[in-house]
Amino acid sequence: MQRDIRLDLAVDAWQGRFQAMGSPCEVVSEARKRRDALEVTSLVAAEAWRIEDKFSRYLDGNIVDRINSAAGRPVEVDNETADLLDFAVTLYRLSEHRFDITSGVLRRVWRFDGSDKVPGSESVGEVLQWVGWHRVDWRRPVLAMPHGMEIDFGGIGKEYAVDRCAGLIKELDGDPCLVNFGGDLVATQAPGRRRSWKVAIEGDTAAAPDRIIDLKQGALATSGDARRFLLRDGIRYSHILDPTTGWPIRDAPRSITIAADSCVEAGMISTLAILKGAAAEHFLEAQDVAYWCRR
Amino acid sequence: MSRKENCSISAALAAATCTLLGSGVPAPVDAQEEPLWDFNTSLLYYGEDGDRVKDFSVSAIARRMFVDDRFLTLSLTVDGLTGATPSGAIRQDVPQTFTRPSGNAAYTVPPEVLPLDDTFKDTRVALGAGWQQPVGETSLINVGASASREYDYTHVGVNAKMARDFNQRNTTLSAGFAYSFDSLDPVGGAPTPLTPMLDVGDTSNRLGDQDKDVLDLIIGITQVLSRNLVVQANYSYSKSDGYLTDPYKVLSLVDGTTGDTLLRTLTPGVAGPSHQFLFENRPGERTKHSIYGQVKYYMNGKVLDASYRYMTDDWDIDSHTVDLRYRIPFGADSYFEPHLRFYTQSEAEFYQLSIPDSQPLPGFASADYRLGNFDAITAGLKYGWRTRNDNEMSVRVEAYRQSGTVPSSQIIGNQAARDNYPDLNAVIVQVGYRF
Repeated sequence: MQRDIRLDLAVDAWQGRFQAMGSPCEVVSEARKRRDALEVTSLVAAEAWRIEDKFSRYLDGNIVDRINSAAGRPVEVDNETADLLDFAVTLYRLSEHRFDITSGVLRRVWRFDGSDKVPGSESVGEVLQWVGWHRVDWRRPVLAMPHGMEIDFGGIGKEYAVDRCAGLIKELDGDPCLVNFGGDLVATQAPGRRRSWKVAIEGDTAAAPDRIIDLKQGALATSGDARRFLLRDGIRYSHILDPTTGWPIRDAPRSITIAADSCVEAGMISTLAILKGAAAEHFLEAQDVAYWCRR
Repeated sequence: MSRKENCSISAALAAATCTLLGSGVPAPVDAQEEPLWDFNTSLLYYGEDGDRVKDFSVSAIARRMFVDDRFLTLSLTVDGLTGATPSGAIRQDVPQTFTRPSGNAAYTVPPEVLPLDDTFKDTRVALGAGWQQPVGETSLINVGASASREYDYTHVGVNAKMARDFNQRNTTLSAGFAYSFDSLDPVGGAPTPLTPMLDVGDTSNRLGDQDKDVLDLIIGITQVLSRNLVVQANYSYSKSDGYLTDPYKVLSLVDGTTGDTLLRTLTPGVAGPSHQFLFENRPGERTKHSIYGQVKYYMNGKVLDASYRYMTDDWDIDSHTVDLRYRIPFGADSYFEPHLRFYTQSEAEFYQLSIPDSQPLPGFASADYRLGNFDAITAGLKYGWRTRNDNEMSVRVEAYRQSGTVPSSQIIGNQAARDNYPDLNAVIVQVGYRF
């Protein structure tokens, strides 16, 4: 994997770019000197790559791989992993079991490539036997789960990384920065040279035009299926699966953008809302958060 | 699910996030959707002293923002002009009667009063549209079109500009052009140049519609020298072709010794000019070259903006403009901006106060004070502030004073005792609101 950093001077800020967690990542910094901008970008990239190395389900030998290949044996995990697992348990509860870090195995039968290849109910039913956090025995710091099950932090990792990086920048007490990992982002503080950070959310259709959000500080995260879905017999199958049924969530908005104090909160509220399907807006109305929903 | 249960979800999530990130309570989010449209509106009053020109103008610029720094700009300006403007004829110690430009009536100017043509009333509507978008990582293009319409004048134009950044965006080179095509349909028809003003109802020296086109080219460079200092320089070229004469301006035909305007033989029973006046004539081409330099210096919130322009053209007009603005913050949300502008120009080679009968008729002649030798100074103050709902408001008040001189070689006989180039004073008040 290519791990390099590009640093350019944009109109009035430095833009550091790199690739991590399958997304283009950027750090926009108001640093005065190139050296300072490079330092902050390097710090952020190092943290993003650390989290990717540790929690990516595609890499061999990391903690996720050790858990997934334990074949029923208990695995003792470090504190950071334990914190993420505890957080996942909270989400599992709050989502009435629809947010489930063991649901990744459903991807063995569901491939969201824009095609019409919808799996049969038999094959979905078969793979469901390996899905369900209730089958996992988690007693911090030891986790044991049946052979064939897998966990995946893909639903949390990027947001977690953005918040961690923003925390590191704040510790540096550096210039105002915007940390953006593939559209999930945090502004560490209001920019000094203009009124706000301007964040564009691309619209995918003429009926859903582009939006521009003025962000002074805090986080924005977007969930949705604008580009990942199956289409068969006029039914659009979202890539967001309901682990309680093994089938896609129905009637979910195409995209939900949430503003919250942290990227993790913004990302999780948007995910929970998507999991509500047709009731997403109703759920969001009750949350007292700023949101932008696109159907 | 009840509202109460839902709220407990975000509260539980916030608590869980705090535990996960191991940090204190993060600063509260501050985000709002930017309106995709913004509007810049202004009301402008320009008033010359006495009975001279008053312009009341309303303008609105609407800008639609798209992602990736693309913009659509639409503009509308409506001007209402009233008042009188010097006709070009000189003062006399007797009353002077003129035929109105329409050819339908006459008016009389008292002795020792500068002849003004008071039929100057018009409403102008101007529309513009522009599109801006980046091209690649370092270039920006703008394309636009404009049109305006007033009673006797129609303009259509197109323009385009391209800018490219170099040197880590510290240097920007730009090049642009504008082409406009204007047609004139003067009240009563454009008069044949250098023919006399005729009696009311006599249209024998009137021509049909006229037109002109103007091509402007500009190349420029902007250089960021430091975080506090930006300089800009450009060169522009402008070529006008066609009818460049002012159809409402005349010159007095004077006695070569006394300098007094020659009397005219009146036609019995018909109103008409008391003296002999000739309609002006300007060359059908004009080429201008300008160089412009600007320095913007930023110091602890204050901004000094200083610029200089030199223009020279093949009508022999050379002009120099120095413009100074100094923006001083006043509190967190407002500023003052004093403004000073100095302007000086030399007269056009065919500018003349009057036409003496002792000499052959020149090929080109105009007594338009705007083509004369004059200096002007503008001094003003702008106050701008951010309103409670985060919009911008500004008020600008400026005074303009113009004073000119007629070359002594052009002053004949009794003309020496008169004020041949009276001062012009004007005030400008502008209120702007951006939302």
